[in-house]
Amino acid sequence: MKKLLAMALAAAMSLSLAACGGGDTPPAASSKPAGSNPPAASSTPAPADNGDFKVGAIYITSQNDVAGYTFQHHNGITTAMKDIGLDPAKQLLIVDNVAENYDDVCKAIDTLANQGANVIFGISFGYIDAMNDKAEEYPDICFSHGTGYMANETNFNNYFGRIYQARYLAGIAAGMKSVETGNNSIGYVAAYNTEYAETCSGINAFALGAQSANPDAAVYVKKINTWGDENLERQAAQALVDTYNCGVVSQHCDSAQPQLVAAENNVFGCGYNSDMTEQAPTAHITAAIWHWNVYYQTAIEAAMACEGDASKFVEKMGGNAYYAGLKEGFVDASPVNEAVAAPNTVAVMDAVRELIKSGEWDVFTGVKLSYNIADGKVEIVKTDAPLMDNQGSEIVPAGGPSVDDGVIKGSMNYNVQGVQEG
Amino acid sequence: MKSRQPLFHVVKRDQAGPGRQLAAYVAAVVLALAVGAVLLLIQGVEPFTFYRQLITMGIPGSRYPWRSVENFIKLFVPLLITSLALALAFKMRFWNIGGEGQFIMGAFWAGFAAMQLGETLPRPLMVLVMALCGALGGGLYGVFVAALKVKWGTNETLLTLMLNYVALYFLQYFAETKTDWNFFLDPGSARPKFAKFPANAQMITISIGPFNLNLSLIIAVGLCVLLYIYLNYTKRGYEIAVVGDSPNTARYAGMKVGRIVIRTIFLSAALIGLAGAFQASSAGVLSTSITNDVGWTGVVVAWLAKLNTVGIVAASLLITVLQYGCQTASTTYPSIDANFANLLQGVILFIVLAADFFTRFKLVPRGRREAVK
Repeated sequence: MKKLLAMALAAAMSLSLAACGGGDTPPAASSKPAGSNPPAASSTPAPADNGDFKVGAIYITSQNDVAGYTFQHHNGITTAMKDIGLDPAKQLLIVDNVAENYDDVCKAIDTLANQGANVIFGISFGYIDAMNDKAEEYPDICFSHGTGYMANETNFNNYFGRIYQARYLAGIAAGMKSVETGNNSIGYVAAYNTEYAETCSGINAFALGAQSANPDAAVYVKKINTWGDENLERQAAQALVDTYNCGVVSQHCDSAQPQLVAAENNVFGCGYNSDMTEQAPTAHITAAIWHWNVYYQTAIEAAMACEGDASKFVEKMGGNAYYAGLKEGFVDASPVNEAVAAPNTVAVMDAVRELIKSGEWDVFTGVKLSYNIADGKVEIVKTDAPLMDNQGSEIVPAGGPSVDDGVIKGSMNYNVQGVQEG
Repeated sequence: MKSRQPLFHVVKRDQAGPGRQLAAYVAAVVLALAVGAVLLLIQGVEPFTFYRQLITMGIPGSRYPWRSVENFIKLFVPLLITSLALALAFKMRFWNIGGEGQFIMGAFWAGFAAMQLGETLPRPLMVLVMALCGALGGGLYGVFVAALKVKWGTNETLLTLMLNYVALYFLQYFAETKTDWNFFLDPGSARPKFAKFPANAQMITISIGPFNLNLSLIIAVGLCVLLYIYLNYTKRGYEIAVVGDSPNTARYAGMKVGRIVIRTIFLSAALIGLAGAFQASSAGVLSTSITNDVGWTGVVVAWLAKLNTVGIVAASLLITVLQYGCQTASTTYPSIDANFANLLQGVILFIVLAADFFTRFKLVPRGRREAVK
């Protein structure tokens, strides 16, 4: 009886939440449970010719999650579909809980193809071979693979974002906080470090951002060897505070535990994936976040523009590897929690955000930033200096151009100066 | 003292007629579907449409119906063979719940052969070698437990259960260890991932128009016939039943019980290993989730069918329809995820098993016990 009541309550809640959803809230902030089936959700009715366009998605966990990786992607896809005028309740096909198993992914793709999907998104890295092979087998369907590196010239692309740019911004906030508190130790709970370019480029960008605001900042990395485990995340964060007396704790892992630990220890933190100020209002400054809907809208529109000829998909996407950043609004730092942040944090982050957006400068170059702040006005000072790794080797000479995108995405395997794995 | 008695007693019914049993099953399925319909309605899904898609598995009106049939066969064959093999052991009252481990070992050794010899051997020979390696790998993994039981009377339930995890972590070790000697992995990938088998190590299929008939289906059907004959019309098959009923009777009749146990368990585990090898070569790659839980589902199938060979064919067919149909139907509803589909399958199975129980037993309330006697 109790369970029935709980179920009825849950149903009522999801309906009422869905009813007040909509509007331009960014995906990370929306707390609408995915998959509820509101009658009046799509304010813009789908145009008649879009009515039979179907979006297929393959998820690593469930679309009914309330946080985490799949949740972010599902939110991105549904937001994008609604913005385009597609109805996710009717036009979104999902196979969920698909392990990174070649055969299972192939079967999931067959199912989606059979149900009439026009474009298929696979969100997890291990789907790569199956998507590559099936793109060849189904030339009339557009395939798009998140975090991967394979693609073809017609109907198969991959997508990922310059999240390192957002981490640089978060690093600035952390660095400024460390100047304010006089504690140069900054902690970083990482899923992995140099094993994956994705994680170590994030650590490096965060450290460079912190050093731009506080040249003496030291970043201590504690890795947990899994993408998400609430207990390990908590322990690692606590260890960083206890061992290195870290005053700011950043993270590359799934849950908000490191931020909660920061709050419990009266220190500060920078989150990841979603704005964690809600979870840790007394500690959290800003988080590096994704706006997946930016990509999904671009990709779905491109697939629709193919008008049935999926071989034009890569051409319509302007290339087979989508790699966008701050400029396109694909990644960003979440709104700064000004009650916690050091003074002028917003102004500095805004200035650097504009600089990166302009394309004049990027994180992994031979030019370092520093800031002169007077009366709330920020002047960015650029200094030519080599990019060094923490073993003393030079990665980019002073004044040199950015590290190659391919390295940032796929093969970066070093930490920059000032990073120490503990 | 009477109040200390339990509220109900479970009492065996007199032999229920086949008509009554059938009626119980039908009632159970109807009840299960009704419960499922309520759950679906709570999720905002129209149950009739959902059930229609479940039963048809989304095949009518789909773009590539033959793909659905192929994928259905890929799910069906491993479950069928594993259930048959488990029934063989259960008939002897040897509680082999190590199907998962034996399946993984079969797949692993088939994969080993594929990665080592796939480039050199021609395809029919390669598939045969993989099948033999898989059967041997699975068989030895199972016979190890049988030998311990025969020699020292160890508990096979515990041992087979634990060896499931040993096998899983063994495979996981190869899945995640990126070193030069690990030939299972794709050398081209920075992150560890299993490499695909060479083309010659892919399961043979027979093209019928656009449809590719997986050879393993034909072999599985053949195995069903052979096992039916083996169990019902051969001396060895009869020995299994006798040992299952009473090892002492078997011994008194002059049967070598230990030898029968070892022989039968090797056969059972080898068949499961063979299923693993077929699964690996049909998929063309290894994975840590290769079993699709057939080692567990197979136990349910075997008991649902009361270890009867024909019954196992029917039960594994129905369960595959349920599994595959649930997945296909839930695809079209964003609110229905795989967890819900699993829940629905669980509800249906649970109610059917309960009905099976109540055709054989009844509950008698406290106090009326004497009256029954």
